Amino acid sequence: MVTLTIDGNEITVPEGTSIMRASMEAGIEVPKLCATDMMDSFGSCRLCLVEIQGRAGMPASCTTPVAPGMNVSTQTQRLKDVRRGVMELYISDHPLDCLTCAANGDCELQDMAGAVGLRDVRYGYDGSNHVKARDNGGINLNWAPKDESNPYFTFDPAKMHRLFAVCAGL
Amino acid sequence: MRACEEVQGTFALTIEGRGFDSRVSAGMHENFLESECVSCGACVQACPITTLTEKSVIEIGQPEHSVVTTCAYCGVGCSFKAEMRGEELVRMVPWKDGQANRGHSCVKGRFAYGYSTHKERILNPMIREKISDPWREVSWEEALAHTAAEFRRLQYQYGRDAVGGITSSRCTNEETYLVQKLVRAGFGNNNVDTCARVCHSPTGYGLGATFGTSAGTQNFDSVEHTDVVIIIGANPTDGHPVFASRLKKRLRQGAKLIVVDPRRIDMVSSPHIKASHHLPLRPGTNVAVVTSLAHVIVTEGLYDEKFIRERCDWSEFEDWAAFVAEPHHSPEEVEKLSGVPAEEIRGAARLFATGGNGSIYYGLGVTEHSQGSTTVMAIANLAMATGNIGRPGVGVNPLRGQNNVQGSCDMGSFPHELPGYRHVSDDATRDIFEKLWGVTISNEPGLRIPNMLDAAVDGSFKGIYIQGEDILQSDPDTKHVSAGLAAMECVVVQDLFLNETANYAHVFLPGSTFLEKDGTFTNAERRINRVRKVMTPRNGYADWEVTQNLAKAMGLDWNYTHPSQIMDEIAATTPSFAMVSYDYLEKMGSVQWPCNEKAPLGSPIMHVNGFVRGKGKFIRTEYVATDEKTGPRFPLLLTTGRILSQYNVGAQTRRTDNVVWHEEDRLEIHPNDAEMRGVHDGSWVKLMSRSGDTTLRALITERVAPGVVYTTFHHPTTQANVITTDFSDWATNCPEYKVTAVQVSPSNGPSQWQVDYDEQARQSRRITGKMEAAE
Repeated sequence: MVTLTIDGNEITVPEGTSIMRASMEAGIEVPKLCATDMMDSFGSCRLCLVEIQGRAGMPASCTTPVAPGMNVSTQTQRLKDVRRGVMELYISDHPLDCLTCAANGDCELQDMAGAVGLRDVRYGYDGSNHVKARDNGGINLNWAPKDESNPYFTFDPAKMHRLFAVCAGL
Repeated sequence: MRACEEVQGTFALTIEGRGFDSRVSAGMHENFLESECVSCGACVQACPITTLTEKSVIEIGQPEHSVVTTCAYCGVGCSFKAEMRGEELVRMVPWKDGQANRGHSCVKGRFAYGYSTHKERILNPMIREKISDPWREVSWEEALAHTAAEFRRLQYQYGRDAVGGITSSRCTNEETYLVQKLVRAGFGNNNVDTCARVCHSPTGYGLGATFGTSAGTQNFDSVEHTDVVIIIGANPTDGHPVFASRLKKRLRQGAKLIVVDPRRIDMVSSPHIKASHHLPLRPGTNVAVVTSLAHVIVTEGLYDEKFIRERCDWSEFEDWAAFVAEPHHSPEEVEKLSGVPAEEIRGAARLFATGGNGSIYYGLGVTEHSQGSTTVMAIANLAMATGNIGRPGVGVNPLRGQNNVQGSCDMGSFPHELPGYRHVSDDATRDIFEKLWGVTISNEPGLRIPNMLDAAVDGSFKGIYIQGEDILQSDPDTKHVSAGLAAMECVVVQDLFLNETANYAHVFLPGSTFLEKDGTFTNAERRINRVRKVMTPRNGYADWEVTQNLAKAMGLDWNYTHPSQIMDEIAATTPSFAMVSYDYLEKMGSVQWPCNEKAPLGSPIMHVNGFVRGKGKFIRTEYVATDEKTGPRFPLLLTTGRILSQYNVGAQTRRTDNVVWHEEDRLEIHPNDAEMRGVHDGSWVKLMSRSGDTTLRALITERVAPGVVYTTFHHPTTQANVITTDFSDWATNCPEYKVTAVQVSPSNGPSQWQVDYDEQARQSRRITGKMEAAE
């Protein structure tokens, strides 16, 4: 067993547990998009970043295992800024049709936009993949139509594009 | 994408382009339908950003409550959350706490439930005088009173043994138990059988004789600890897809694979999976090849002497070892009749005996032969000789076909066995049921399905109650089945749809779906899973209520108000179920039988400290060639199987959107055989055996070896079982579906039988005087 501190709370978990899992056990929710208990974690979405005292940078909590005596912070100003920045990039390439979207209310992206306090997207939407025509009337070559060929589910590339990183782990 | 690789193991989703222009796509610039995607839905579930969305959610909206239940397709027994909006099913989501599937699913379980509301579903009981008459809708009371009167009349007129019943491996344990109880207590005979007759009855016999129990030895989690896997006569990526994904995950971690199958199934070679050995044997030579594997293990001294001395009878082993060591079992000799290169047999045997934890998974390619039971025993011998029994990662694992075929066998569906595999001649067992039911039970085994049909043709068997099985399409030699059914005076079919058997029925009792009832299914790993009602039965009654009402109409005093009471009766009478109750299942999630005082938590792995029968028994397995032989008239061997998107006779999946992947059965034929006969890809061919002929379209592929052809049997128009013969397993009568000598020739249209059959089926399905849906 390993004992560590997360946001001032001491917690003991089995060796090999990820910081994300340990946080959840302690009742501390770390924002996340790509992690799921069905797959090995791959640290792609960069929302679950944390800071560890004495270590440089902001490692992904889903792929970083706990260590004895570790002191982890999940909510610092720096983390909040980075997470909001990452979300802002994601949303700049995602349609804002939430009210009429089938997943409204059951959408992790929507939840995370709320969790990180996203209020503004400064990059504009022109050129992103979800619009068929650019502002100047030109054709957006990045746009692709919804694939409804499968009888049971639809694949809407407009909702994806730069976000591919989230599920591909690139 | 990650889900596709790690969970499903298909690697259908790829990244195309680079940097900012890159995107996820299915295959190479294809849409999802045309890609390698198998529609397991793992990506849809994992997708955090709604790029992938179920069409049902788009149409209906989001669910407001959910109920955990068990899939009603194959023997894997996946747990699902049925997510509901009122009485409407929004989507099926695999349940992460499901102990069989661990959160994964396939296209059938997750998506193919649309049959439950299909317009062809019959919701009112119907009767008719003659099978040439149109159906007449009647009330439940009239239908049941009529049925009861008919069965009593037939018994009065032709004797007590003139009627019988068939339990369904698609229905719950409780429903199956009631049908056999109705036959034994109500009809007063043992004329009860189930569709396991035509699939895994040799498993019951073979494993019972060698180990002492009629079931697989492991749980599915065991595969995570295996090092070498032999798959014999099974096609898991199509038949048991969720297990296949779990197995593939283990293989990607480095476990080795040996495939024994006449076809080059997907497991032989797929992304990041390559079998170390593929033994493409001629259909019908299983016993020879498996015994030859044992020959190598024995003659090269690769057996596990310590295990054998501890767990088995050493003198029996010595006798068996001397037998398998005989020169005619050597790979070089067996190559001549099986077509498998001797070096492949030797390599496979060495790998299995020396590669660590060795497990064997097998399917109907083992059992559905004239020597099906012998092959099962040969497999058991192999596992014992190599010490691969009684711990995680090893074992003998039948991949069972139906959701509850294990359960229907457990529940006493066989004519010679009461619940818990206890022979009807056993006085103590009969006494338990006789006291409880207040009747006398015959100590003579009753008729098996093929015997019932023979007796019907002979005129001594006159009435049958068939719950949820389509024997006309699924049993071999269709012409004989139809003759048997046509000779009966009262055929009662209880089903969701007017299936093929119903063309010969006099009474039709509408059935309910798994979504409409409470109960339990027992999967291939002996796991008893709860089935929970999520909507009201559209036909008015759950199937167990229909059987109970029929029993009451026949004068029996049955008063179950909930299936949990039936399970309590099973637990009270059947030692291996002693501790099972709905409350206990609620607490445990699921349990694997035996679940009793000796094993209160159930039994994930069997034979841990010794075999159930005491000492494991080695049995000689002499190869005897089937009487079904190729010759000048019928030079090719036909074998049959299933495909991922369709399920068995297709009554359910053909009534879902799964038909986009498989709208007809095709005949797979090797390019050489096709060229010799002037057969082109997609052209119509006539398929002929000594039993009959049919036509279907050809699919030219090197998946099958020269001399072997293959088809699926999902569509009634194909009439694949017109071709199959009445040969069967020597011990259990399990039909020899997997070997039929055939000829293939170009054709320009349906056979006369197909034309006549279509016309008869069309006539037979007429309904007059439609009523409102029941209740």
